[in-house]
Amino acid sequence: MVVVSRRALLEGTAALLVGLQAPAAVAQTSRQDTAVLNAWVRISADDRVTLLLSQAEIGQGISTTLPAILADELGADWSRVTVENSPVGPDYQNPRIHWMFTGNSESIQSFAPHLRRMGAAAREMLITAAATRWSANPADCSARDGAVTHGPSGRRLTFGDLAADAARLPAPANPRLRPVQETRIGSSIPRRDIPQKVDGSAVFGIDFKVDGMVYAAVRQAPQFGASAARFDAAQVTGMPGVIGVYPIPNGVGVVAEHFWQAKTVLDRLDVTFADGPNAAVSSASVERQYRAALESGPWNTIVDKGNAAAAIAVATDPIVREYGSPFQAHAALEPMNCTAAVTADGCDVWGPIQGPELARIVASSVLKLPPERVRINWTYSGGGFGRRLLADFVAQAVILSKAAARPVKVIWTREEDMTHDFYRPATLARLKAVVGADKRPAAIAATLVSATQLQPVTAAPLPDHVDPLATEGLEETRYEIPNFRLDYHKPKIGIPTSVLRTTGFGPNIFAIESFIDELAHLAGADPHGYRRALLANDARALKVLDLAAEKGHWGAPLPARHGRGIVVYEAFDAIMAHVVEVEVDGKKAVRVNRIVTVADPGVVYDPGIATSNLEGGVVWGLTSAMKSEMTFDKGAAVETNFDGYDMVHLWETAREVETHLIAGLGDKVGGIGEVGPVGIPPALANAIFAATGERLRAMPFARFGYTLA
Amino acid sequence: MVSITVNGQRHDVDAAHDTPLLWALRDHLGLTGTKFGCGAALCGACTVHLDGDAVRSCSLPLSAAAGHSVTTIEGLSADRSHPLQQAWIAEQVPQCGYCQSGMIMAAAALLAEIKRPSDADIDTAITNICRCGT
Repeated sequence: MVVVSRRALLEGTAALLVGLQAPAAVAQTSRQDTAVLNAWVRISADDRVTLLLSQAEIGQGISTTLPAILADELGADWSRVTVENSPVGPDYQNPRIHWMFTGNSESIQSFAPHLRRMGAAAREMLITAAATRWSANPADCSARDGAVTHGPSGRRLTFGDLAADAARLPAPANPRLRPVQETRIGSSIPRRDIPQKVDGSAVFGIDFKVDGMVYAAVRQAPQFGASAARFDAAQVTGMPGVIGVYPIPNGVGVVAEHFWQAKTVLDRLDVTFADGPNAAVSSASVERQYRAALESGPWNTIVDKGNAAAAIAVATDPIVREYGSPFQAHAALEPMNCTAAVTADGCDVWGPIQGPELARIVASSVLKLPPERVRINWTYSGGGFGRRLLADFVAQAVILSKAAARPVKVIWTREEDMTHDFYRPATLARLKAVVGADKRPAAIAATLVSATQLQPVTAAPLPDHVDPLATEGLEETRYEIPNFRLDYHKPKIGIPTSVLRTTGFGPNIFAIESFIDELAHLAGADPHGYRRALLANDARALKVLDLAAEKGHWGAPLPARHGRGIVVYEAFDAIMAHVVEVEVDGKKAVRVNRIVTVADPGVVYDPGIATSNLEGGVVWGLTSAMKSEMTFDKGAAVETNFDGYDMVHLWETAREVETHLIAGLGDKVGGIGEVGPVGIPPALANAIFAATGERLRAMPFARFGYTLA
Repeated sequence: MVSITVNGQRHDVDAAHDTPLLWALRDHLGLTGTKFGCGAALCGACTVHLDGDAVRSCSLPLSAAAGHSVTTIEGLSADRSHPLQQAWIAEQVPQCGYCQSGMIMAAAALLAEIKRPSDADIDTAITNICRCGT
């Protein structure tokens, strides 16, 4: 049994990649009148406070919450705070994983404690500087609203007055955090990015401009892994705006004065690609491969609590069900794009990037430059969902800028974006249960087949049949099941796969929460009560489940062809429950009347922003449950745009969405960015079963003729 | 060269006649608030007003806009004072925000036509895609 924890693997990744880097130089001061208190806090003589941000704003509101946490500890005047993206460097790495990325729902989890310490340290330096100037006791001084005040005398100095002195002091090793009741933890503030997002002024990667910039369009081999393109650049010589036609690793790029010119030239260019090793790969071939693996492994045992295998082997009539999920595309609304300027001095990169450290490694290896000569800058991202952790589009911008000797912005068309994704892999899981006299599961054994999720975003080579992100959600459950086992098989499939919002929790919680629901119905038990019995010793999960049942009017009478579904689970260190209420007509059109969400993620820093993530996530989950499926033929993606890979529209979405947060004031912080969609597919399937008696065991439900109404 | 009027100002755009209005706005006039999402009139991120009507600028040739009045998100108001912009801020609507210019322009065109739209009116008029589920 090879057991590698998700955390250990991510840490291993960081260690491996850190070894590749030279120490990064971090700009110490930007202006002479600006004092640098630490890597995160700069204060100018005129009281402007600049806070650094190392996490990408991909829509989750992090560009408000993290600086607000820092400002709160510091005692800054929020209205005078400027937020600036950090450079790439060790000071700005995720303090838990020592690697720069935005993902895994852990920006708040990992950075909040660290930034509180950084804010507190800078505050103590300012207080020491003031106390020294006043010959006062620092314990009599406090910092609020951008100034230090001496309590007994009422004397006051602004941060700008003190910053230069404070910056010369040693950083305190163990700064004291403000007591929670003196902080703004748990209160909502307006997002900083929203005004720019309603007047068109927010700069996404695709909007970024630099002097002398030209544009590129690319065509990549439709077939995954196919060899490089053959083309004749002479064919398009002299077309309007054309600057050059250049090879990229899996295709060709056209650089022109304007994007539409580049695309027009590219459309005119005849490009041929030779077949690669995946020419015969199709949805059908992958399904056969998955099914063969499900029958015969080989397996890696990920979890083996008690002796589930023995209990099931001797059972006369174990309950066996299979659950599947499809390949899914990220389909961020802003297509992949990136701007690079390669000069004699090095390279500057600007783009919608979730993985700046990987982007720097990739760009520096393409250019054969030391990493410190590559400067990665990230903009707002029009969605990310994990796709922008990868750096394939960054490499293209760098290659094309170098080739054209101009700053180049490469923009993918939607077709390139959808057909050259790193998809969430399909999954196929078989769950077996033996129930006791009380009809509750005495043993559950799961076998899971899923291609990799983690490998493309880690430099550490994963062992065979190990992928902690693919197995999460079936590795552990809050239910009390005395014998529990998970066996995992990781096929190599010739289709690029990686992490997508909800990672393994999405497909795996669909399987386990559907299965528990089936066991409840087989037992003739109420699905809420059945789950309660399995959580009898888990007060925290029970509270979440019961609040969802109460707010979701669980048990209240419904007309015919209406139904409610319930789920409860833990993902990304948050405990979640939903009640979904639907009505389904005779043509399988599903009207989602209500979705109630209850979340206990531990400490909630900003309930408004957290709720927005959860409620958007609920709609995201509806798309995932009902519609999203990528298919493949001849080694290439079939769906190319939103006509084949559609999103839930306004007229299809839930009529009522209601969210309740159970927030604790302890130290524990759970993730919030990805949990919203996780439980929607099983909750919806359970509701459709309650309404129709038809059990849906594979996503998307469109496969079975269901639509949203 | 194609002459178009955008946000009340006349511009001579040096681009091929079949260049989609979207790219003329973005690359030639620097009005990047209007977004590229699909290039096929499916998602609505590129929605602008043509003589007050909501149109998908990714699929409208520049020549078809000649002689008409185009309004982009930048021209909806000079200072975020349009009631929809105010409401969007008050309700903290956007998440990633990429679809929001198009959403606001589609909604503004609807409200200009129907002061008190029904749910059905809204469902019919707002066909834009929002990946965040805002």
